[in-house]
Amino acid sequence: MKLNSYIKIILITAIIALTSCEDFLEVETPNHKIVSESVFNNDQTALSAMTGIYNELFIATFTGGGRETSVSILTGLSADELKTLRANDLNLTEFEENEIQANNSRNLSIWTSAYNIIYMTNSLLEGVSMSSMISEDVRIMLQGEASFIRAFTYFTLFNLYGEVPLILSTDYRKNALSTQATQADIYDQILADLNVSISSLSAEYRDNDRTRVNRFAAMALSARVHLYLENWEEAERMSSQVIQNNSTYSISQDLNKVFLANSQEALWQISPIGGSGILSYTNEGSTLIFHPSYPALTKVALKDSLVNSFDDHDKRLENWIALHEETGNYYAYKYKDRSSINNISEYSMVLRLSEQFLIRAEARLQQGNLSAAKEDLDVIRERAGLNPIAILEPSINEEDLITLILEERQKELFTEWGHRWMDLKRTGRSQNVLDSKPSEWSDTDRLFPIPAQERMKNPNLRQNPGY
Amino acid sequence: MKNSYSRLKWVALIILGGILMFLSMAATAATTPLPLQQQEVSGMVTDQNGLPIPGVTITIKNTNRGTVTNLDGEYSITAPSIGILVFSYIGYTTVETEIDGRDDIDIQLEEDISALGEVQINAGYYNTTRRESTGNISRVTAEEIELQPVVSPIQALQGRMAGVEIIPGGNLPGQASTIRIRGTNSLREEGNFPLYIIDGVPINSTPIESNSNLGNVGIDPLNTLNLANIESIEVLKDADATAIYGSRGANGVILITTKKGREGKTELQARVYRGASTVPNRVDLLNTGEYLQIRRRAFENDGIEPTEDIAYDLLVWDQDKYTDWQEVFFGGTAEVTDMNLNASAGNEHTSYRLSGSYYKQGTVYLGDFDYTKVTAGIQLSHSSESRKFKLDLSANYGVDKNNSVGYMNLSESAFRLQPNAPDVFNADGSLNWEDWNQAGLVNPLNGIYNNSLINGNNLNANLMLSYELFKDFKIKSSFGYTIFNGEEIVKRPKRSYDPASWQNIIDRSNHLYNNRSSWIIEPQIHYNAEFGKLNLTAIVGTTFQNSKNTNFSLQGEGYVSESLIGNLSAAEEIISSSNQTTDYRYNAVFGRLGLDLDQKYYLNFTGRRDGSSRFGPGKRIANFGAIGVAWIFTEESFITNSFPVLSFGKLRGSYGTTGNDQIGDYGYFDAYETTIGPGGLYPNQLSNPDYSWEVNKKLEAAIELGFFEDKINFGLSWYLNRSSNQLVGYSLPSLTGFNSVQANLPATVENTGLEVELSSFNIQSGEFRWQTSLNFTFPKNRLVSYPDIEESSYANTYRVGQPLNIALLYEYSGIDPETGFYNVVDVNGDESLDYQDRTIAWDRGRGFYGGISNNLSYSNFSLQFLWQFVKQEGILALFQAGTLDNQRSEVVNALNQGSKYQRISRSTQASRAYSDVLNSNFPIVDASFLKLKTINMSYSIPNELIIKLGLSSGKIFLNAQNILTISPYQGIDPEQPGRGTAFSALRTITGGLQINF
Repeated sequence: MKLNSYIKIILITAIIALTSCEDFLEVETPNHKIVSESVFNNDQTALSAMTGIYNELFIATFTGGGRETSVSILTGLSADELKTLRANDLNLTEFEENEIQANNSRNLSIWTSAYNIIYMTNSLLEGVSMSSMISEDVRIMLQGEASFIRAFTYFTLFNLYGEVPLILSTDYRKNALSTQATQADIYDQILADLNVSISSLSAEYRDNDRTRVNRFAAMALSARVHLYLENWEEAERMSSQVIQNNSTYSISQDLNKVFLANSQEALWQISPIGGSGILSYTNEGSTLIFHPSYPALTKVALKDSLVNSFDDHDKRLENWIALHEETGNYYAYKYKDRSSINNISEYSMVLRLSEQFLIRAEARLQQGNLSAAKEDLDVIRERAGLNPIAILEPSINEEDLITLILEERQKELFTEWGHRWMDLKRTGRSQNVLDSKPSEWSDTDRLFPIPAQERMKNPNLRQNPGY
Repeated sequence: MKNSYSRLKWVALIILGGILMFLSMAATAATTPLPLQQQEVSGMVTDQNGLPIPGVTITIKNTNRGTVTNLDGEYSITAPSIGILVFSYIGYTTVETEIDGRDDIDIQLEEDISALGEVQINAGYYNTTRRESTGNISRVTAEEIELQPVVSPIQALQGRMAGVEIIPGGNLPGQASTIRIRGTNSLREEGNFPLYIIDGVPINSTPIESNSNLGNVGIDPLNTLNLANIESIEVLKDADATAIYGSRGANGVILITTKKGREGKTELQARVYRGASTVPNRVDLLNTGEYLQIRRRAFENDGIEPTEDIAYDLLVWDQDKYTDWQEVFFGGTAEVTDMNLNASAGNEHTSYRLSGSYYKQGTVYLGDFDYTKVTAGIQLSHSSESRKFKLDLSANYGVDKNNSVGYMNLSESAFRLQPNAPDVFNADGSLNWEDWNQAGLVNPLNGIYNNSLINGNNLNANLMLSYELFKDFKIKSSFGYTIFNGEEIVKRPKRSYDPASWQNIIDRSNHLYNNRSSWIIEPQIHYNAEFGKLNLTAIVGTTFQNSKNTNFSLQGEGYVSESLIGNLSAAEEIISSSNQTTDYRYNAVFGRLGLDLDQKYYLNFTGRRDGSSRFGPGKRIANFGAIGVAWIFTEESFITNSFPVLSFGKLRGSYGTTGNDQIGDYGYFDAYETTIGPGGLYPNQLSNPDYSWEVNKKLEAAIELGFFEDKINFGLSWYLNRSSNQLVGYSLPSLTGFNSVQANLPATVENTGLEVELSSFNIQSGEFRWQTSLNFTFPKNRLVSYPDIEESSYANTYRVGQPLNIALLYEYSGIDPETGFYNVVDVNGDESLDYQDRTIAWDRGRGFYGGISNNLSYSNFSLQFLWQFVKQEGILALFQAGTLDNQRSEVVNALNQGSKYQRISRSTQASRAYSDVLNSNFPIVDASFLKLKTINMSYSIPNELIIKLGLSSGKIFLNAQNILTISPYQGIDPEQPGRGTAFSALRTITGGLQINF
C-alpha cells in the first residue's frame, strides 16, 4: 500500500513534468501571411508580389495616395502652379510659401512612402534573384519591372531632396544609419536600373495594360533622366525610340482623351484598382477637381498666373482647365472623374508621349538642331490649336526657343509629377521665377528639407542647407 | 536547447521524488489511528451581541467530518469525546475547543477585526495570509468596489492600492484604462499590460481594437464582468508573488476571484440602483465679446483688412450670439441603472451560487446613446463524502452593447468652436448646413448620424478538480476556457453628411469582428507536511495554453436604403479589408516550495520554466524564479517583552526574475501579406528572427507592523525593479522601408519606489466604528542605461538617467521684444529649432499618488469615502489668441500690455511661435489633484421591519463618484493633464436598495 503510494507520486509527477515539450510551441503560419521565401517559390505568387507593388503605388502617399500630400500637388504649390485655399493648413501653406519646416508631416510622408516602395522593390529583387524555382522569363521580367520602379522612385526623391541615402537591400541593420549618397552615385544607380529594365522588358505591355511597365516606359524615363543630366544626345536617342514606336503611341488629338486608361499617349499609368478595387477615380481627379456645389472639399486651386499664361485660343485652356464659378477658382481638369465607383475610366498618368516630344525638342535644341527642335515643339503646339513656331517665328534664336520650350512644358505638363518645379530647378530659373512670389524666396528652398523625424532616428543624415 | 531541457526535467523529478518519499515516511510514522469513543455534541453559536450566527462551519479537527449551524445558530455533531471542534466563519476568529466529554458546547465568535491571520489571500496557485505571506500582494474586496457605477472593475481600483496606478482611457463607457503596477517597465507602450487572471484563466489584457470612438485606447477586455460578482481582486507585485507566472509576471498580475456559494440555507439577494452622471467641470473659455475683440485686434496688429474668407466670424456671423459649446456637446445627463440578483445555497458537500445582472449607462454627449450589459454567472463547489475529491466550477458570461456616435470626437469641437458660431441645429431639429457653408465651413456635427454599435460577449469558465490521493498529497488540475466575441458595426448614412457633398457619398458600413479564445490546462501536485516545527508546502505543475485571436473587417457600400445599412446582403459592394488569425501557444513547468519554522521564519521558493511561441525557434525557452523570506519577529519573546504595544511585526524580502513576452505574434516571421488592391502581395513589416524575452529583476524589502492588538497596521515596502533586454519595436528611420522592427535592446529601465499602507481602527466603541486606511506610493522611474543611445534611433526620445515618460522641450525665454511673439532658446545657435534645442526633459509621470479611505458605521448607518490624490504636472494649452479658434478665458489678458501672452496675431509666424512654445516649458503647470473619488452611504433596514416584511436583511444606499476635485489645474480634468481638454471622470450619483430573502 505504501509502496504503491510512492509509485503513484512518482508516476504522477513524471506525467506532469514530462508532458511539457517544446513541440507544443510550434504554431502554424497564420493564414494572412506567406513566408517571404515561399512567395518566390512559384511564378504566380512572385507575379503577385509585383502586382502588390503596382497596387501600393496607388496608395503610396507620394504618388497621390495621400491626396494633397503628393509630389504633384506639393511641388505645384512650391512652384507657381497651385495655391492653397486653407490658410489654416500650415502643413500645406508651408510648401506654398517655400517655408517648409523640417518637421512638416506631409514632407515626412512623401519621404516615408517613397522609401517604403523602394523596400518593396528591393525585397522583390532579392527574392527573385535568390529563388531557383521561378521561370527564367518571369525572373527577367520582374527584375525589369521592379528596377524601373526603384529608378523612378529614386529619381523623384533626388529631385525633391537632393542627395539621399541609396538603399538597395532590405537589411535594416545595414541601412538604418545610412549616409547620403552622392548625386553621381544616385544617378549611376538610376541609369543602371533603367538599363536593366530596357534590356529585360518586352516591347509589349503585359496583359495589354499600360499600368505594367514595358521597355518603352523605361526608355521614356531614361530620356527624362538624361535630359536632367544634360546628356542631350542620349536624351534624344531614348525619346526618339519611344516616339518612333508610333504603332503603340501617338498624340491624341482630342485633349479630353489624353488621361483615359490605356490612352494612346500613355507610356506608364497607375491604376486606381490598387486603392481597393471599388473606388475607380484617380487621386488627381479627386483632389484637383472642384465639387460643383461643395468647394470646401478642395484644398488647392490653380494660380491665376498660370491660367493667364495660356493663349486665348489654346485648346488646353478650354479642355484642361475649368472655373469654379461660385468661388472664382480655376482648377486642373485634365482628369474628368472626381468620384466614380466601380467603373475605372482614367488612370493616373506618370509618363506620356507629349513629354517625350518636349524632351527631344530640348535635347535637339541643345545640340544646335533648331529646326528639328521646332518640329517637335510644334507637335505639341498644334495639338493645342496653336500656330506652329516654324511658321510663326521661323528665325527664332536659341535663347528664345529654349524659353518657349520651357513655357510649353509648363502649359502641357502642369500639375503632373512636379515637372514645373523640377524644370525651374534644373535650368537654374527657380530664383528668377519664384522670387516674385509674395513669400520670401531663398535659393536653398529649391530642396525640400530632410524630414526632422528621420534625422532624429538617423543622426548620420545631414540637413539640406537653409533648414 | 531541448536536450538540456529534458535532462533538467529528469533531475528535478528524481530530487522531487526523493524528497516526497522521505517526507511521507516521516509523516506516516506519526499518524497511527486509534479506536475512539464517539458521542453527540450540540450547542449554539452566537456573535459578541449574542445573536445566533447561521452557517458556521464546525469540523472535527484532523478529520473530514463536520457540520454547519442552522438558522438559529444551532448545531449537533457526533464526535470523539477527546476530539477538538473547530468553529469557523468568514470574518470571525476561528475558535478551537476540546470536547473533553461535554455534550453541550455554546460558542461565542468574535469578529476578526485584524483579519491578519485569517483572511485567505489568493496568490494564484496557492493561498496565503497577510501574516504568512513572503511577497507583496494588495487586495480589494467586494464591499469596496461592488457599488461603484463603472463598467470595468479596473476603474473601481483607482486610488485603492499602493503601487497600482490607473489612468482612465476616456469618458466613454467601456474604454480601456491604463494600468501600471509599479511603473512602466517596457519601452513599448503595449509591453506594459499586467497579466489578468479570472478564476485561474488568463485573459488577454490587451485592449480590444475598435473602429469607433473607443478605438484610440481600445475596449477594456474586462467590461463584461459583473462587478457584484467579484469576491476579491488581488494584485501581485513583487518577485516572490509574480515569479510563479514567469514570462508573464513582469508587469504584475491581477487576480480576479468571483464569489462562491456558501454553506447554509438558500439565500436570495436582489439589488438595484439608479442614478445619473454628468461632466463635473468645464474649461473657462472666452465669451463672444472677448473672443471678437481679440480677433479684431489680431487683424489690427497684422495690418490686414478682414475679409469674409478669413474673418467670417467678424464679418458674416452674428456679433452678439453666444453659445456655450461645452454645454451643447457634453452638457447632458447620463442615466445609470444597475440590477443584480443572485441566489446561493449549500450544504457541507455542495454549494452553488447563481447570479444575473443588468447595467445600463447613458451618455453625457449630444445624442441618444447608451451602454448596456447583461451578465449571468454560476459557481458550483462540491466535495465527496470523504472530502478527498473536490470540484469547483465557475462560469461567467456577459453580453454588452455599446451604442455610440461613430467616427466623431464630440468633445474636441467643444473647445475649439467660436462662441458666435452659428447654431448646429435648425429650429426643426435638422442639422444646419447653410449657415456654416456660408462661411466655407462644414457643420461640426457633420457625421453625427454615424452610429457605432459594438456588441461583445464573453464567457469565462474554469473547472478545478482535485483529489487527495493520500493525506496532504493532492493532485489537482484546472481546465479553463475563455472566449470573447466582439462585433462592431459603424453605420455611415449619407444623411449624416452635408447634403452638398451627397453626390460623393454613398451609404456605408464598417464591420469589425474580433474573436479571442483561449484554453488552459494546468495539472498540479500540492503537498503539505509537518516535521515538528517545520512546515512545508510544495506545488509542482505545468501549463498548456493555446490562444487564438481572429479579427476580420469588412466594409459594405452602396445600400439601397438607409434602414438597410449594416445588412451586408443589401450592400452593393462588400470589401474585406483585413482578416487575421494569430495563434499563441504557451507551455510551462512551475513550482513552489514554501517552508516555515515555528511559524516564525518563512522561506518561499517559486519558479517557472516557460516557453512561448512568440519567439523564433531556439529562443523560446527561459527560466524564471524567486526567493522570498519573512521573519515574524513578534514571535520572539525579547521583542514582545520590550515593545508591549507591538502586536505584530514582520520583516520580509524577496528577489527574483520575471519576464515579458508581450509582443506581437509572429514578429520573427519574414512574410508577405495581401494588399488592399486585388491580386497583390507585399511585405508589410521587417522581421528579426533573433529576439527574445524581456527580463525584469525585482527586489523588495518590507516591514509590516501591528500595534495595539493589531488595531493599527502599518506596512512599508521598498522595491527596485530593473527591466532589461528591452524588447521593442525598435524605431527605425523610414529609409529602411519601415518605421520599426522588433528587437531586443541593450537598455535597462528601473522602477523603484516606496509604498506605505496604513490601516487603523480609530474607534470601536459600542455601535460606533471608524476605520481608516491609507495607501501612498512614491514611485521613481528612470532609464538606467542605454549603451550608445546617442547613435541609436532613440537619441531624441529618451535620456539616460531620466524617466521614460518625459517630453523633451525647448526652454522658453520670454517674449521677443521685436516681434512680440514667444521665443524659445535656440541652444546651439544654428537659427533653427530642432531636437538638439530641446534640452529640458520634463517628467510627465506622477510624483506620488495614493488614497485615503474611511469607513464609519453607527448602528444601522454606514459611510465609506475614498479620497484619491496625485502629485503631477500637466500642460495647459488653448492660449493661441488671434486665431479662428476659441481660447481659455485667461487669454483675454493678451489684450493688455505686458501680459505673459504673445502679441495677438493670426499670422503664420505667430502660429509657429505658438506651436514652438507649446513644446517648451512655458505651458507646464501643476496638475496635482485631490479627488473625492467615491462616497457610499448606507442604512440597514431595522430588524423589526425586516421580520415584518419577511426578509432576512436589507439596506438602502447612496453612492457618489467624483463629487469633488481640488486642483490648481485649469484644464477640464486633472486626471488627463495632456492639454486641458480631455476628461475621463464623470460625476455620478446613484441610490439604491438591496434586500436578502
